[in-house]
Amino acid sequence: MVNSLVREKINNSDLPENTRKTQVEQARVAREIKPAPPRYRNELAKYIINRSNACIHCGKCAEVCPQGVHILKPGYKLFAAPRLNVCIGPSCQNTDHYCVDLCPQKALRMVENPMMKVLGDYRWTPDLILSTWKMSETGSAPPVEFGYEREFGNSGGGFDRIKIKFPEKPPIEVKPEEVDTTLELNRRNDGRPQIKLDVPWYGGGMSFGSVSNVTQLSKARAAVAFNTFTCTGEGGYMERLRPYDDHTITQVATGLFGVREETIQRVRIVEFKYAQGAKPGLGGHLLADKVTPSVARMRETVLGISLFSPFPFHSVYSIEDHQKHMDWIKHINRHALISAKVSTPTDVDMVAVGSHSAGAHIVHIDGGYGGTGAAPDIAKKNIAMPVEYGIVKVHDFLTREGVRDKVTLIASGGLRNAYDIAKAIALGADGVVVGTAELVALGCIRCARCESGRGCPRGIATTDTKLQEQITVEWGSQRIINLYNAWRNDLVDILVKLGMRSISELRGRTDLLMHMDYTNDVEPTK
Amino acid sequence: MNGELIDNLHASRYMLNQELQPPTSERKLEEEGGCGVVGFCCSEPVAARHIYEPSRQMHNRGNGKGGGVAALGFKPEQLGVSKDVLDNYYILHIAVLDLNVLQALEKKYIYSNFEVKSAQKLDTVEDWTKISGLQAKPPDVFRYFVKTKSDTLNDFVKKNNLSGLPQEEAEAEFINQISIRLNQEFYASLGEQKAFVMSEGKNIMILKVVGFAEAIIQYYKIEELCAHVWIAHQRFPTKGRVWHPGGAHPFGGINAALVHNGDFANYHSVCEYLAERQIFPQFLTDTEVSILLFDLLERTYHYPLEYIIEALAPTSELDFDRLPPEKQAIYSSIQAAHIHGSPDGPWFFIIARSLPDQKAFQLMGITDTSMLRPQVFALSNGEVQVGLIASEKQAIDATLLSLHKDDARICPVAERYWNARGGSHTDGGAFIFDLKSDDHGKLRITCTDKFGTHIPMPSGSEECNFAKEITAVSAELGSELKPFFEDKDAAAIFKYVKNHSPQWTYDEFQICLNTIVNMAEVDRYTTTVVDALTLLNDRQYGVGNKKRSHIVYIIRMALNKLFSSLPRLDSDTLPDSNYRLIDYASRLSLREPRNSETTLVINVSGFEPEGKLSDATLLMDAYFKGWKHFISYNCIGQRFTGCGLGPETDGVTIDIYGSSGDYVASGIDGMTITIHGNAQDQVGQIIKSGKLVVHGDVGQTFMYGAKGGAVFVRGNAAGRPLINSVGKPKVVLNGTCLDFLGESFMAGDVFNGGGFVILNGVKFDDNGYVVSLKEPYSGSNLFSLASGGAIYVRDPGQQLVWQQLNGCGFHRMTDEDWALMLPYLEENERLFNIKVEELLTVNGEKRSPVEVYRKVAPVKIAALGKKAEEIMATETEELTVSTGE
Repeated sequence: MVNSLVREKINNSDLPENTRKTQVEQARVAREIKPAPPRYRNELAKYIINRSNACIHCGKCAEVCPQGVHILKPGYKLFAAPRLNVCIGPSCQNTDHYCVDLCPQKALRMVENPMMKVLGDYRWTPDLILSTWKMSETGSAPPVEFGYEREFGNSGGGFDRIKIKFPEKPPIEVKPEEVDTTLELNRRNDGRPQIKLDVPWYGGGMSFGSVSNVTQLSKARAAVAFNTFTCTGEGGYMERLRPYDDHTITQVATGLFGVREETIQRVRIVEFKYAQGAKPGLGGHLLADKVTPSVARMRETVLGISLFSPFPFHSVYSIEDHQKHMDWIKHINRHALISAKVSTPTDVDMVAVGSHSAGAHIVHIDGGYGGTGAAPDIAKKNIAMPVEYGIVKVHDFLTREGVRDKVTLIASGGLRNAYDIAKAIALGADGVVVGTAELVALGCIRCARCESGRGCPRGIATTDTKLQEQITVEWGSQRIINLYNAWRNDLVDILVKLGMRSISELRGRTDLLMHMDYTNDVEPTK
Repeated sequence: MNGELIDNLHASRYMLNQELQPPTSERKLEEEGGCGVVGFCCSEPVAARHIYEPSRQMHNRGNGKGGGVAALGFKPEQLGVSKDVLDNYYILHIAVLDLNVLQALEKKYIYSNFEVKSAQKLDTVEDWTKISGLQAKPPDVFRYFVKTKSDTLNDFVKKNNLSGLPQEEAEAEFINQISIRLNQEFYASLGEQKAFVMSEGKNIMILKVVGFAEAIIQYYKIEELCAHVWIAHQRFPTKGRVWHPGGAHPFGGINAALVHNGDFANYHSVCEYLAERQIFPQFLTDTEVSILLFDLLERTYHYPLEYIIEALAPTSELDFDRLPPEKQAIYSSIQAAHIHGSPDGPWFFIIARSLPDQKAFQLMGITDTSMLRPQVFALSNGEVQVGLIASEKQAIDATLLSLHKDDARICPVAERYWNARGGSHTDGGAFIFDLKSDDHGKLRITCTDKFGTHIPMPSGSEECNFAKEITAVSAELGSELKPFFEDKDAAAIFKYVKNHSPQWTYDEFQICLNTIVNMAEVDRYTTTVVDALTLLNDRQYGVGNKKRSHIVYIIRMALNKLFSSLPRLDSDTLPDSNYRLIDYASRLSLREPRNSETTLVINVSGFEPEGKLSDATLLMDAYFKGWKHFISYNCIGQRFTGCGLGPETDGVTIDIYGSSGDYVASGIDGMTITIHGNAQDQVGQIIKSGKLVVHGDVGQTFMYGAKGGAVFVRGNAAGRPLINSVGKPKVVLNGTCLDFLGESFMAGDVFNGGGFVILNGVKFDDNGYVVSLKEPYSGSNLFSLASGGAIYVRDPGQQLVWQQLNGCGFHRMTDEDWALMLPYLEENERLFNIKVEELLTVNGEKRSPVEVYRKVAPVKIAALGKKAEEIMATETEELTVSTGE
């Protein structure tokens, strides 16, 4: 009998062949950047241009504006409602086509949209939402003229107070096309496949039920385009996801809804969700109104009854149970990598090391900044450790224990843009998981009413058949592809400025970060 | 003990702490993970090597970064002392990591305080690296037989105002304080640890290493050291590269050793509780804290064991209400005083202690109130008795088998296996094996629960002499049985043997089985032989005055003999047969089935419990090569059998003999799995469809998250069966379960294809008759927060009360319900011979199903469902709602 200590030393050739792979043809999605304009003609904009009665409909404004904000259709006497979301705002004053100044009647007035006072929240500020929308529309960063603050939110903590210290001149000159943003997921050398993502992030688990199937499919298609992954969440594996098996993570969560051998066997990564950073100590929950006939069918539960997953796994109360649990999945699928998703309690470092020693390839720590509107506020804001502390704690501890290079550390929880991703990696993560940002790409306005039932005003976090028709898969995928592309460009830009050829060089470089409130070497900026 | 003495003891410890200034810790130094634990006691002293096999089998519950053993009740000659010295002198085992400190240590702590009868260094192998299970050099261990010098003790008593204490207890306190001082100086206060006390007590030894527990036996060369009580621990610490033996289990108190499987959530609170009582941990793990708690309650407060257990695992909820009023009064006082010291979270303790004044020993297992850790108890009765406690049943079986090989009087099958229901009014969640001298001065074992109630044993008393090998066959019997074989009538053969077995001697029984096994030489009889022996193994029937466990062992041996004699897959000459045998050595010969081959028989012995060298992996490979029928035998807890075959496996069958492992049948879709014996934990998780039959009990979290399947269990389930089940599982549990049956059950509407559980609350008596249990369900939580499905409880005595239901109610049982249940009860009858008619007979009188069964189903809860009216199609008259009252 082989000593179990040497179990790790299995060679590639020892792995049996017969584990099944996906049984259906896999969809191909090109990484093509195409405009994906807002779904609504009058999408929310930061600035409003008011037109007074003094307007004589001369058409001057429409003539001068290169963005095409003002629309006077031929044959019409009156202006149509302006397309404000393409207006660059007050920065236009410095140009020679500022309509407000050029209006012969002085009939135009630019003001900040009062909606900005109610849109979003401290973490997702209006600027972050609007800039994410812009990126999703165009596939690249919004031009600076728009004046969006697209790095920092206004939460007063977390990534909003951490800044990347860029050198005045990069130590080495790197061309953008040389920069490597790939992420290796299997570092155990256990004979299981080496999976490499093109970007250092993948999509977080959102169940069918919490979001619509259009949302899930859009995420999946974007994952294919960027050779990364999306995750089923807890509500089972939709048949329609099958063409994306190779880029889907099956989540095994505490309620075990929809988990079956075939859904474990068809994927390349299986994720154990022990806890969510947004609500540690609580299982997943789906309130009654969202348990529509199709959701109930998928989860094989009763229509219209709230579904609560337990916390924690009833079968896992210790590390050796954890190992057994992973061994089980490894047995069912001999080629899958295993991810253990945990929240960030104060002993998250122990949990991470434990997960590694129990056999996880990926340790995914989920901090407290994330969570949709469905996570209870009392939990969302008060329980988990801020992820920026968690990452450092885990990274340092794994390093001290000598296993840092045997495990892929993934961080998540409220990461909103490429800067957050870079900061998380500089703190010590290998990569990240994003969730809410993808919903914002689909037009989420952060009204935080996800739990209220089927009534997501934007048709994203809904299972209502009518509401979800607001989005087509094509549009949804394009929005997320565009966002991913913009992020990747931003990341490359950050790495070029830092003189790094690969994202992996950034890992753990806390020396490149500064905290805006309490380091000695920087003056507070705000 | 009187309050003044307790105060004096506290004062004495206060002075000690003032002097030593032990650090207070905010956090555990070492995060505990899970563990594998096993303990056994035997009426005869048995050699250390018997702890070897169960320890090795628990490797996957540890990671080789901490292991330990404890032993109690030695033979004096093996320790080189007289019986008098062994009985009356304390033994100190001191681990020395840095030999430079030895001289100073001995001078300061040993020779100045004690009269030393014997001092020796434990012998070791020369090169520790030769032992594969070790990760660091084990400490040198020095053993001292000591008695406190009378002057020293008198001074101590005087100085600390302890003159009211009996001499014996004063000495115990003195020795304990010496240990604390020693540990403080050479262990806790230093950056690097140099020496610490491993055990302090009479007739007790603890050894621990950084490595697997069984490596201790090899390293200290104690294979032949005999003791009455052994416990072993495999540790799986969450953290850590380099470990220290000081952190490994067991931890010792005066005369006691404790191992622990689990993790406290309230370590800090327990430490504060102890600090208020002048007790400070020095090794900073929750296991150390556990023994400190036990020692405090026992040695300082002089609580009887029952109250100690109550202080550790308080009785709550309905269980508390069901205690007699006088117990309630005492228990509430205990809880009021000690609740802050009560460990919270998943934990399971095995404690062994010597009671030198009574020349007795105890081995006990205590489980937490929520029963979050697996635990199994067993007793093998007879001329030689063995009491066992383990985290997995296979560790018990491995111990018994190991003992049996040495001493044929010990049967490898225990007479009883059972679980404890933590914090309950029924057994208190703890069982104690007492080893006390009988009238002839021989140690005998009795087993009681927390309340002192004796555990009843099966009635048979005549033992089989396993030393005598019987290979004879009976030609006469052969010709008598032959027509049955021609007719392929296994049931008739079973009936024949069953009818004769009460009168037969063991020899006759054995000859009969030999004869039956022999018939398999004719290939066309093989299936009938398998079926007949399987029926004999599975069914419950009277065997006269013989021990049923001994009969079961004989049958299992016959089955093993039969399976091992089947044609091997790797043999050069292959006779025409449906069966092919494969084992670990021949595993690479696996190929697709050919010609008449239908059934692959896997000798599981030697396969790893999980991973690529496991039998479950071989089975999976064989299935993909085209095999459809499997027999796995000789199992010793190998996991995941039947997992990984994927969807739509209808027509596949797997029969498992021996100690099946965790997660068997999890996720199956279509196939039939039959477990011919007890099953373990996490069986049938997420099962989708198919059939699972268990001829015995099942362990923790049975069918968690199940989606379907037809499942039949002859015996009991442990805690949390069918939690979070959805879809359409149909389950018959013939016994009962510990608690939390069907929590958050969501399996639709029973009248519309939804799932249900039938809980029969019956068992077989020694003569094979079906009898009702005292009550069908004792737990405080039945079907809590369920939103779909139903549970049908056979409860003719109306013993279930609404207080046991949380969020569901009693619904009127109708003929429509009965029509749903009946096909499953009929199948249940076919499988286990539990007749529907018997189930409907109450006190000799046949009743109608609606009188015998009660239906528990969800009720409308406004907070959980908006459209509950639409969903609740069930009859809800006579509804008793358990919420809001």
